[in-house]
Amino acid sequence: MKNKNKILNTALLGLSLVSLSTALVAAEQDPIKVGVMLPFSGVYGGLGEATRNGLKMALQEHAADLQGRTIEFIEMDTEAKPSRAPEIANSLLNKSHADFIIGPVHSGVAMGMIKVLKGKDTIMIIPNAGVNAATGPLCAPNIFRTSFSAWQPSYPMGKVALEKGFKKVVTLSWNYGFGQESLDAFEESFTSGGGEIVKKMLVPFPKTEFQSYLSEIGSIQPDAVFVFFAGGGAVKFVKDYDAMGLKGKIPLLGAGFLTEGTLEAQGDSAEGILTTLHYADPLKNEENQTFRRDYADKFGKPSDLYAVQGYDTGLMIASAVKALNGDISDQKALIHALENTKVKSPRGDFTFSKAHNPIQNIYLRRVENGENQVVKLAASALEDPARGCSM
Amino acid sequence: MDSTLFIVQLINGLQYGLLLFLIASGLTLVFGVMGILNLAHGSMFMVGAYLAWYFVQQTGSFAFSAVISAVIALLIGFIVERTLIRQLYRRNHLDQVLLTIGMIFVFNALQGLLWGNDPLGVDVPQALSASIPLAGIIEYPVYRIFVAVFCVVVAGVMYYVISKTRLGMLIRAGESNREMVECLGIDISRLYTIVFAIGVMLSAVAGVVAAPISSIVPGMGEHILITCFVVVVIGGMGSIKGAFIGALMVGLVDTFASVLVPELSSMMIYIFMAFILLLKPQGLFSS
Amino acid sequence: MLLNKRAERLFVWIFFPLALLMPMFLEQNEYYVNKLTTIMILSIFVMSLDYLVGKCGLITLGHAMFYGLGGYIFVMIAPEYEAVNFWIYTFYICAISATVAFVIGFLVLRTNGIYMIMITLAFAQMTFYYFSDSIDFGGTDGVFVYVKPETSIFGLSLFDLDNPTHFYYLCLLSLFNTLLFFKVLIRSRFGRLVDAIHANPGRTVALGYNIFIYRLVSYVVASALGAYAGYLFTLQYGFVNPSMLSWTTSGTALVMSILGGMGSIYGAILGTLVYEGLHYSLEHLTEHWLLFMGGLIILMVMVFKKGIAGFLEDLLEKRDGK
Repeated sequence: MKNKNKILNTALLGLSLVSLSTALVAAEQDPIKVGVMLPFSGVYGGLGEATRNGLKMALQEHAADLQGRTIEFIEMDTEAKPSRAPEIANSLLNKSHADFIIGPVHSGVAMGMIKVLKGKDTIMIIPNAGVNAATGPLCAPNIFRTSFSAWQPSYPMGKVALEKGFKKVVTLSWNYGFGQESLDAFEESFTSGGGEIVKKMLVPFPKTEFQSYLSEIGSIQPDAVFVFFAGGGAVKFVKDYDAMGLKGKIPLLGAGFLTEGTLEAQGDSAEGILTTLHYADPLKNEENQTFRRDYADKFGKPSDLYAVQGYDTGLMIASAVKALNGDISDQKALIHALENTKVKSPRGDFTFSKAHNPIQNIYLRRVENGENQVVKLAASALEDPARGCSM
Repeated sequence: MDSTLFIVQLINGLQYGLLLFLIASGLTLVFGVMGILNLAHGSMFMVGAYLAWYFVQQTGSFAFSAVISAVIALLIGFIVERTLIRQLYRRNHLDQVLLTIGMIFVFNALQGLLWGNDPLGVDVPQALSASIPLAGIIEYPVYRIFVAVFCVVVAGVMYYVISKTRLGMLIRAGESNREMVECLGIDISRLYTIVFAIGVMLSAVAGVVAAPISSIVPGMGEHILITCFVVVVIGGMGSIKGAFIGALMVGLVDTFASVLVPELSSMMIYIFMAFILLLKPQGLFSS
Repeated sequence: MLLNKRAERLFVWIFFPLALLMPMFLEQNEYYVNKLTTIMILSIFVMSLDYLVGKCGLITLGHAMFYGLGGYIFVMIAPEYEAVNFWIYTFYICAISATVAFVIGFLVLRTNGIYMIMITLAFAQMTFYYFSDSIDFGGTDGVFVYVKPETSIFGLSLFDLDNPTHFYYLCLLSLFNTLLFFKVLIRSRFGRLVDAIHANPGRTVALGYNIFIYRLVSYVVASALGAYAGYLFTLQYGFVNPSMLSWTTSGTALVMSILGGMGSIYGAILGTLVYEGLHYSLEHLTEHWLLFMGGLIILMVMVFKKGIAGFLEDLLEKRDGK
């Protein structure tokens, strides 16, 4: 039975005519609505696009798992603007009635989304934003994350630095939540093993004029430098580090984002940098090999970390829908199914913690010939401490 | 801070300041002569950097890319002035603000369409890729010195053109009395087109020159725009000399603030600007 | 007559009754109620800017500073887990931001033109960096407001702020009051002097008026209203973020105000509606909405020389003339 009920709203004084059609179809044939809140323009635009590609690819590959249900995507550009985040999240929740809301990349946007979506009748899955609070004090049954907490990739690096015999380290990051959380996580494991942070430098975000900081590092001459930068800032920092003659003299360590999606732009300057992350492009497992080949075939460009995270988000949805035989109307059951998903990810299998953050391997990587080669496993099945989460 | 580190930081500050001058000079020139407040100036810096990347990818030659990018920027400036800016001479500043904000949107969208959103990098040209030892383990990249010298040369050329040539005479005349210049039978609209195109080109050239020492990312234009405004306002809108002094000051303040008062470093150039404007409400060298 | 232009009367008579009835049509859909609420909040903000820029000739690129402060002052002074009184806190927030505006205005209003644009920007940037660097207030991630204020006056509670429809009416009322307030202000002796100062500062000084005081009062009033809008915005979703303070927020508001028609006051609502409406429609139509948005803005500068309000006025007058 198909009963189309069209309500025409003449809103905004006729300036924008908005037609809203609610299709009341039998539940099985209803498409699963997946709201996507990612940045498609601006600095984070590339990340948003890769995430979306990965997400769609996974859901297409596992179309059979969806028990005959189709997927309807509703895509919204967040422009990485936190102040617009609540409004967009609200539109996906109350206008589109999305079953899943995937996003975002940016931690500030994540905060705005959580404010609106926490405890609501939808599932929010974060495919990137690492703000610790999302699976910490703000954790909620309907909020999941398929990427990482800021703590996860940086914590294992402290031990690695100690193993390498570094005693005095300078840490450096943009002065914002994620950067500080990364430095704190590194400091936590590094100082508990007897290391010393001789100086912690915070660069105003999004400043990329690093000369004065690099000069100071050159005069302090620590055993190593640990940094958090990503994207354009990471490119600039690594190139400047080299140009100032510090490369090869003071080892550069970082959370893996320093060399993700930036290696081509960084060129030779990045060679030898050690980073820790939950993924590396050349990982040898079969899932990763297949994923990278298929992604490149499908989209005509190489896959990256963000594509993997999007892909895993898709895998997670498909697996939960399959487990419930296509009926996702019961939120409790859906959350239960999601919680118990074991994602066969290109990064290696992972499961979810009580706080809904991945329990995953962290790899130590070293840049060789323009690729993040895996040196070893830096931490196996690492679980975020989820401080402040009472779930 | 010991004395060697101080000297290194001084060089950093001056070098950054000189680059700021190169970017800001076009902005102040256009405002001084035409009274146009071009918010899309930063976008042209971005366009310059992306063009440099594109042509280096295609041809491998940085020098060639620099020249062709400058020519393209001149053309863009010419077209924009003839089609859009021209309509607004007799309208107020706010309409110019609106128009140029619209242009920022368009340039950003085109950048996304043409070149995508991933961060890009341009290699330092081979001939300039060396570094010279400076103090302790610190080396200074030759390319940065080249950039500084280039900026000084541009400043010199601008000074020469404005004070010694016929074009410069017209520019100065246009600044002080537009009607008079028209009465003397000079085609002021042609002068405006030339000045605007040169302004755009200066910004794009700054983008080209900065490309090897920056990361080429979406939104790089807006970020630099605000800093440019600070420079220009400190120096006095429309004054090339002011822009030069202002740029060096901002470069030094920013560099030393990040070392000496890291907690305030993001605010420091604005505090500095507010301070200058409270002492001299028209900037340091306003005409 | 408070509303002296035909277009203005027409607009006000259509907009407010329609806005009053709107939630009845939108009952099924919380989203549209929320979206319109945001537009009204923004309209208040843009209107206060429009008064400053269009009526007083004081061009500022730092108005977002007060918008953001409205939110951050609330977060700073209100207890985290206790419902405070909305009206009392409205008073606090307006009073505090007016004090801030008084001090800053005292410094800023000594400059004019492009220099004033820049020095207002400078103060706004300082505030922006203060909050985006401060971990106490969440840095770039922002802060949550966990408990919304209650709105009782003498035990009578008219609005429940957790109910989107109630909040909608509160914002509509605020918008109406703001419009009324500015219209009365402009008609008053004070407003006429502000007009005179805008038209010819030199002559007004010669007539023996202290134009600085008039400008300062205008600046303080507009800033306090800007902060009130920011306070409402914060309460709508319970979320404050430094991006409220960024120069692009000021710039966008300026665009809305110019689009609507500078100095027309009611044009602020028109400008905000058109801008937000375009943004909304375009981003649903195409991923490259930015391109079309920019193109349309450029087109509108060319076509509407005095903004949309000016365009409507000309249109109606032409018809009258015939």
